[in-house]
Amino acid sequence: MSASLSFDQAPPISVPLRFFLTAPLFLIAAGLALLFTGGDALGSRWHPHTLGLTHLLVAGFMLQAMTGALFQFVPVVTGGNVQRPKRMAGVIHSALTLGAVLLVAGFFTMNPDLFVAAAFFLGTGLILFLLVVGMALVRAEALGHTLHALRGAVFSLLPTTALGIALALALGGRAAIDPSRLLEAHQAWGLAGWTLLLLAGVSWSVVPMFQITPAYPRLLTRYFAPCLLGALGLLSAGVLVGIPLLVVVGEMALLAAAAAFAASTLVVQARRKRKTSDSTLLLFRGAMVCLLAFCAMGALGAMLPSLAEMPGPPVVMGLLLILGVFVSVICGMLYKIVPFLVWLHLQDRPAESETPPHMNKMIPPLRSRWQMQLHFLSLALLLPAPWFPLLARAGGLCLALSAGLLLWNLMAALAIYRRFKSRNPAGAPHRES
Amino acid sequence: MNQPRVIDGREMEPPEPMEATLEALDTLPPGEELTLLLNCQPHPLYQVLRRNGYTWTEAWDEAGTNVIRIRAA
Repeated sequence: MSASLSFDQAPPISVPLRFFLTAPLFLIAAGLALLFTGGDALGSRWHPHTLGLTHLLVAGFMLQAMTGALFQFVPVVTGGNVQRPKRMAGVIHSALTLGAVLLVAGFFTMNPDLFVAAAFFLGTGLILFLLVVGMALVRAEALGHTLHALRGAVFSLLPTTALGIALALALGGRAAIDPSRLLEAHQAWGLAGWTLLLLAGVSWSVVPMFQITPAYPRLLTRYFAPCLLGALGLLSAGVLVGIPLLVVVGEMALLAAAAAFAASTLVVQARRKRKTSDSTLLLFRGAMVCLLAFCAMGALGAMLPSLAEMPGPPVVMGLLLILGVFVSVICGMLYKIVPFLVWLHLQDRPAESETPPHMNKMIPPLRSRWQMQLHFLSLALLLPAPWFPLLARAGGLCLALSAGLLLWNLMAALAIYRRFKSRNPAGAPHRES
Repeated sequence: MNQPRVIDGREMEPPEPMEATLEALDTLPPGEELTLLLNCQPHPLYQVLRRNGYTWTEAWDEAGTNVIRIRAA
């Protein structure tokens, strides 16, 4: 590796890492919440504990990981630079962390003031994030469909945030809105527009790059984002003007797009050129199987409305999508992103210094595999928990252990970074702070 | 005449293409060119090249390969 070239990696490593190291804490909290509240949180999707648990995962774990990833991913993959990344990340990270904690506390205590405070902090953090990352995406140099998907995902965060603030203010008694009308749209923009579109856009680049697979089919990468955003538009219009048929058509189109993405990922993975299977590949594969199962249940629910009205199946669908798809994929991505960041930032070192370890050796593969197995075990225990509430505690314990192991694994890579930096302190200072 | 220097990074896992490219640039004689074949745009590499006085051109072929030609400015 070259020691004569200088490196100036923007953003500084602390920018994404603060998000990546906070995210597992929310996942640990979700596991502990299940362990201590037991079956309550999985009895019905509308139980306050269920909503608290859901937001520990989506506004805690997932939002932290996704904002951190975009701070890093936008410069690396699209060439768009976020302005003043360290300062902005500090403010955004604090606001999102505090906002998520307040929101979850609001659901577990049903204290109206906590919802209002959560709306303020989450709203502030997300609007700042939208401004800085949105501007970077507008200025990005990259070509192709990943950039379009990232722009669509970040755009989708706007209605997700606006609807979320409205719902939090309604729960806080500060807005006279019927929450049931907005919930469907908030969920759809958050889970399909912001999360699934971001996952797909990142996958178009990351799956072929890190798993050495063929490219995704061009038809899918070209039309996935417009189809998804069009379906969300239909669904929202249906909710706003009260036409149930539009909502159903929008939901079916979302399910079809999601199933096409999952099936394509499994096909390109099966055709990968290096037949090795690391934790990232297996987490992605498990996630895509969960996404197909979610789509099948969604289609079945549309054909048999009595099924969707039972308390258990919607909870299973939520577990499949959030824990099975998104948490799995994020764990898999973190196992590539964090070692890559450490490797990249250790290149800025003196010529005579020792060589850092290979990227794939920074997190012991056996430990990431244990974490993956615990994660999938927690999912297997939680899926039947709506009917067997005792399993919720066992699943919660496995989830907390798996999240603790995730944090330990990420800290292992960070320890390598710190050790090398302390032994080899020279290097060009980063621009901006 | 020297052989053209080509790194085919299309089936390498990151960060192998960047490692190989930067090693090759260390020994690239003045006036010569290094060609890198990839399936993507390597923005982290471009940042390093820009900062160290290299120029590059990109050309995408029909198979979706980005042919990147790098030389000292």
